[in-house]
Amino acid sequence: MKLKRVAVIVLAGLFVYLSLYTWNLRTGHLDTLAENTGLDAVRLALKPGRWLADQVSAFWRRYVHLVGLQEENDRLRKDVDELLMERNALRERAMSTDRLEKLLAFTPPAGWQRVGARVIARRMGPNALLETLVLDKGSIHGTAADQPVVTPQGVLGRVLRAGFTASTVLLVDDANSRIPVLGQKYRSAGVLAGRGADRELELKYVNLNAPIEPGELLVTSGLAGTFPKGLPVARVLRVERSDLSLFLDITAEPLMDFEALEEVLVLRREGTEPQASPGGD
Amino acid sequence: MLRALWWIGFSAAGVWAQTLLPGVDFLAAGLVFSFQEEGRGRALLLALVFILLQEGMGSQPFGASVLWYWFLLLLVSLGQYIFQPRSAPFAALLGLILGLLHFLQTYAMATLAVKAVPLDRVLVESLLQAVAFPLEWLLVDLLYPARLRSHDQPV
Repeated sequence: MKLKRVAVIVLAGLFVYLSLYTWNLRTGHLDTLAENTGLDAVRLALKPGRWLADQVSAFWRRYVHLVGLQEENDRLRKDVDELLMERNALRERAMSTDRLEKLLAFTPPAGWQRVGARVIARRMGPNALLETLVLDKGSIHGTAADQPVVTPQGVLGRVLRAGFTASTVLLVDDANSRIPVLGQKYRSAGVLAGRGADRELELKYVNLNAPIEPGELLVTSGLAGTFPKGLPVARVLRVERSDLSLFLDITAEPLMDFEALEEVLVLRREGTEPQASPGGD
Repeated sequence: MLRALWWIGFSAAGVWAQTLLPGVDFLAAGLVFSFQEEGRGRALLLALVFILLQEGMGSQPFGASVLWYWFLLLLVSLGQYIFQPRSAPFAALLGLILGLLHFLQTYAMATLAVKAVPLDRVLVESLLQAVAFPLEWLLVDLLYPARLRSHDQPV
């Protein structure tokens, strides 16, 4: 009897699950629901935590490590610490201003507008199959799926999903990322593919007789319509000839350290107003 | 009220833990504990919230978390007939099964969605999941407020 009941529960569960899965593949409603609830809730959980971590860290620096010293040393050290903290805070602010100035100096290509965003998290959770970043800007700020995400150094990826107030970005180095590119110097076309985190990129489908050399910058070709033409994406590291393939074996490196990113720009086409994301990827 | 605050705090801590160790589920142990301590109804409500959180922060098409939590609750339901359900060995066994399931499910879901899978990375995540789950379950059992504990426990 028990076995029969378990079998019914298993079969019913599988039926409901497969129905939901296929229905969602067609409509994307459940993806939209998860983006507009789960992703936004994650942002809500992370933002106060970051603030709290900063406060705790400041408290620790100010008070805890001074305990146990002589009174005179306390006062002097406190003065020094306060000055150091002030200097560090000013230095941090100056560096942040530098970064923001560079971001603001980035001129978007004609027909595109920029939306500044902060990185609040990286790949997270058991479903984090892809190499991603989480941004603090969502559809109410104008971001939507497939919009390019860049820094002044170049392209870092595209928006994968957009919730109301947060978005997920698929990075260039993910094994599922494909971007049509051109060599900046010799204009040889190919498709730039990721191989996973901390691994080199691969430039595919470049003919054996195509001119391309190590050190050459790869820029977006604009062919797929997702990225504007001419944005730098990677630099060629090695060019090798294969005896078995009709194409060159080319390795490239990204133009930035994805782990160190703090602020980025999302590009959206002019005329597209901030609105709810259609969902799906 | 205290119960709601406890689970909100747990969820926020879980989300933070998941940013530190990507690929590992830090909410599953709470769900199993809720099922064992608070009963099926509350655990299902919690599962719904956790599914939305995991699907929102993940990068797979909707469905992986539904299957993941449904299988977990099925395992706990079946396990109570065979094992001592509220014990560290049972939590360790669940951790091992979840580790294996993470590997198989990630591979299956990625194949369904025609996506490349970094198998070496998923293997490490599976090992971490197997170790983290029982430890976290013990921690939740230790920290769960005494005022909320029922004398006639559901499981």
